[in-house]
Amino acid sequence: MSAKGIRGNERTAGWIFVAPALIILGLFFVLPILMALWVSLTGWNGQGSPFTSRVPFVGLHNYTALFATDDLARQDFMTSIRNNAYYVLLVVPLQTVLALGLALVLNNRILKGKSFFRTAFFFPSVTSSVAISVVFLFMFANGGAINALLSAVGINGPQWFSDPRGLIHIALDRVGVHNAPAALADHGVLGLTWWDWLSGPSVAMCAIITLVVWTTSGTFMVMFLAALQNLPIQLDEAGMVDGANAWQRFWRITLPQLRPTMFLVVTLGLIGTWQVFDQIYVMSQGNPAKTTLTPAFLSYRTAFRDFDYGSGAAISFVLFLIIVLFTLLQRWLLRERRGH
Amino acid sequence: MISRRWAVAAVAAGALLATGACGSGFDENKSTQQSSGPASLQIMIASSGDAETTAVKDAAAMWAKSSGNTANVIPAQDIVQQLGQGLAGSNPPDVFYVDAARFADYASVGALEPYAQTMAGADAFVPGLKQSFTYKDQLYCVPKDSSTLALEINTDLWSKAGLTDADIPTTWDQLTSVAQKIKAKGITPMAIGDTRDRIGAFLVQAGGWWTSPDGTKATADTPQNEQALAYVQSLLKNGLAKYPKALDAGWAGEAFGKGKVAMTMEGNWIRGAMSTDFPNIKYTVKELPAGPKGKGTLSFTQCWGIAAKSKFKTQAQQFVQAMTTADQQLSFAKAFGVMPSRQDAQATYEQQNPDDAPFVEGAKYGQGPVNAPKMDSVLADLDAGLQGLQTGDPKAILQRFDKNAKTALGG
Amino acid sequence: MRTIFSRFFGYAILVFFGLVFLYPFVIQISSSFKTESDAAANPLSPIPHPFTTDAIERIFVGTGFPTWLMNSVLVTVIVVLARVLFCSMAGYALSRLRFRGRRVLFAGLLATMAVPPVVLLIPKFLVLNQLGIYDSYPGLIVPLLVDATGCFIMKQFFDSVPVSVEEAARIDGAGVFRTYWSVVLPMARPALITLTILSFSGTWNEFPHSLIAVQNPALFTLPRGLADLVSGSLGAGTQYPLKLGAALLATIPVAIIFVIFQRYFVRGAAEGGERG
Repeated sequence: MSAKGIRGNERTAGWIFVAPALIILGLFFVLPILMALWVSLTGWNGQGSPFTSRVPFVGLHNYTALFATDDLARQDFMTSIRNNAYYVLLVVPLQTVLALGLALVLNNRILKGKSFFRTAFFFPSVTSSVAISVVFLFMFANGGAINALLSAVGINGPQWFSDPRGLIHIALDRVGVHNAPAALADHGVLGLTWWDWLSGPSVAMCAIITLVVWTTSGTFMVMFLAALQNLPIQLDEAGMVDGANAWQRFWRITLPQLRPTMFLVVTLGLIGTWQVFDQIYVMSQGNPAKTTLTPAFLSYRTAFRDFDYGSGAAISFVLFLIIVLFTLLQRWLLRERRGH
Repeated sequence: MISRRWAVAAVAAGALLATGACGSGFDENKSTQQSSGPASLQIMIASSGDAETTAVKDAAAMWAKSSGNTANVIPAQDIVQQLGQGLAGSNPPDVFYVDAARFADYASVGALEPYAQTMAGADAFVPGLKQSFTYKDQLYCVPKDSSTLALEINTDLWSKAGLTDADIPTTWDQLTSVAQKIKAKGITPMAIGDTRDRIGAFLVQAGGWWTSPDGTKATADTPQNEQALAYVQSLLKNGLAKYPKALDAGWAGEAFGKGKVAMTMEGNWIRGAMSTDFPNIKYTVKELPAGPKGKGTLSFTQCWGIAAKSKFKTQAQQFVQAMTTADQQLSFAKAFGVMPSRQDAQATYEQQNPDDAPFVEGAKYGQGPVNAPKMDSVLADLDAGLQGLQTGDPKAILQRFDKNAKTALGG
Repeated sequence: MRTIFSRFFGYAILVFFGLVFLYPFVIQISSSFKTESDAAANPLSPIPHPFTTDAIERIFVGTGFPTWLMNSVLVTVIVVLARVLFCSMAGYALSRLRFRGRRVLFAGLLATMAVPPVVLLIPKFLVLNQLGIYDSYPGLIVPLLVDATGCFIMKQFFDSVPVSVEEAARIDGAGVFRTYWSVVLPMARPALITLTILSFSGTWNEFPHSLIAVQNPALFTLPRGLADLVSGSLGAGTQYPLKLGAALLATIPVAIIFVIFQRYFVRGAAEGGERG
């Protein structure tokens, strides 16, 4: 067979080889997005097909309603954005620091039995989010393990999943600010008062944050560990010769070399945390008082419970946009620094 | 060459699959094809517990056996969501429970078959309940049963707190004072569900309600309603009442059944739960204490809805007919504690269950749920506000409801 | 002296976090064998007192657990086999075969990977609905058959191995399919195992898809069934030993696979990392 024959064969073979993947991904990734884009422009109420002339076309109304109309839909959406923002703000740094810390300890040459601990730290991240949520629901019950631990050290634990107060509000309450200052309570932006925006994550959200940090740190630890093991040891030794202490060596030598992994971990963290859904569905369903409502869960609830599929689809596209924006922003920030 | 033909075939098959399958979905069936003969009915219920699930399953199996059809009872965990997906998928269950609070939503989008309009014997049902399932002057479905809220008292804890029958509260003031006595003994006095479906009773007792009687206007921000919420708030703040979640319970009845509280306010369904899950707790049922404007309670009802998209409407109607005979209603009442929705059966029920007199009494002055389409998210928001009542501002909760409801009701 | 101190310190950290990461599972296991009142009264105790298998028995007779388990096994087996086959084929073609449109396809694959799955909940429901496979086994299984990340991992793998062996087979006159089947696949064993492991844990734990693909309890998979058990409606009660036991049983298969194939999980995490 001539060389040309082999190449010619490859042309059709190539398409056949990718055909199953292409059909499935096309049908269940590309087509759905197009359909949802259409539905997000309509007022489909979930009866019959959304692709008939009887379904009202509303243009961009579902999108503008999320930002411009002063009603419940906007309030819910903005509340969900606020909740998720606090969630991201806490989860991403915490899980990154914890993962890096654990990886550094495990990378220490003088310790033995590390593989056991590596397994232990990694295991939670491969278990089912639903199953783990059940365990944490039990641990964070009012008479559960966490409060039993807290009371052992003399702290009266909160009622985790029924306490809608935000952490910042609680802290202000402690220092004597019991009610919202008028300047914050009477003015606001996008449907929430400044006081509401500045609530901090609720106690219930903190329980979910703990769970997520606990489950995802293992994966990121493995990434950091792989990166640490690939670092050339000579640099570190050179630092030792120069008389730098462990902290200086970590800060000046190890950390700069970990920048690509750090970038990756933070990016994956940002993408993942804006999508939190399973834990919310199982543990709180957005309660108490909507303080664990997130855009992903709100989009689901708006479509499947309130029959407002157009608005639900619009929320999910806005969420998509948020994720893309944050990824780009973060990429840009790290570029800037690289330039210095 | 052979492989090229394969490729073309594969791509063509894929394309056909996609377009062909889509095509079937694009046609809008004006009226669903009806099938006669033996039907296989899907019946989705929002069960109050194992007792109800078993009772309905048994009754359905009996009907299926005698009529030669099959009937599959699906207990839904979250009927609103599951039904929503079923309706959007043009594949709803044939028969399903419709809560009075959600009825208007389903009726307004055409999901329900208005079979009750022509159903024989529809006159036998309690008129007030039928009103809950009437949309634009059409009776869509017949009420399955009814229930009201009452005050349940754990008699052991009651006497442990040094209280007697004479202390049973009939007013708000008395309720506060017995609760204080119980609390002094280290017992949590009361569990109250953290939703409008419980707290709303206090509004009625204070002479207020969320909306105007015809359900077209939001009327939450009134002194009466504020007084009611302030009273509930005072109970919560002083530890005289707690929400179920604060007691590690899924609902108030569970906290009551586990002996964590001396009192609760739940409906007839608590009977079924107590006898199956907590048979050892001794308790008694009384009417809710009256507020400043007299007695008040909430009444709840569901109907047997038939899907407009069902293929077996005739058989579904026969099924509903069989489930709503006076005898069947009485046996449901016995199994899981709800009250019959037929006038003839209700009379028998009163004689058979003198202990349930407070529930039956409540039915005479009970307030039905807010019944208007598009209100669900507004009501859910209200519930969110009520969850935070302990530290929240009653007036702000009421004003927020009015503002949201106004948009939804379009007035 | 310093070494001893830092060694002690290192172990202290490891043991502390070891407890933090493992003790919840200890609580879960012990509580599954507790009575409900014992579980509520002694949430921290690792020893059930009294020991009872009531909860475990009720999981099998009182819930849909056996059905969920069967469905999960069925879905997982089919999906894992299909992903291994389809993703290795696609990865191979994208890496080795020269055909028009390859670059576009690869870019498309990367774009697909960038779409957050949660955003696809409503869209996927719409498609399943339109295709008429909502609330059925095909609806539950078919959308999961191919995973963009899996195809990407396979492509990366083929990029990293030398072509010489295949070239030899090709020159011997074997066609593309023969070469793929009898030369390439055996060679790709390590990558295929990684893919199998990732597909297994991904499918076994998959929750949102089953939430929007089915509503009939007879079609529930384990995570879906578990979620419904937990967010149970009025009257379901807390029943912690039962719920924890069900969650435990759902975790066991993944735990076993994890212990045996841990290095492939590690590789999976690292390879998932490379795409950044």
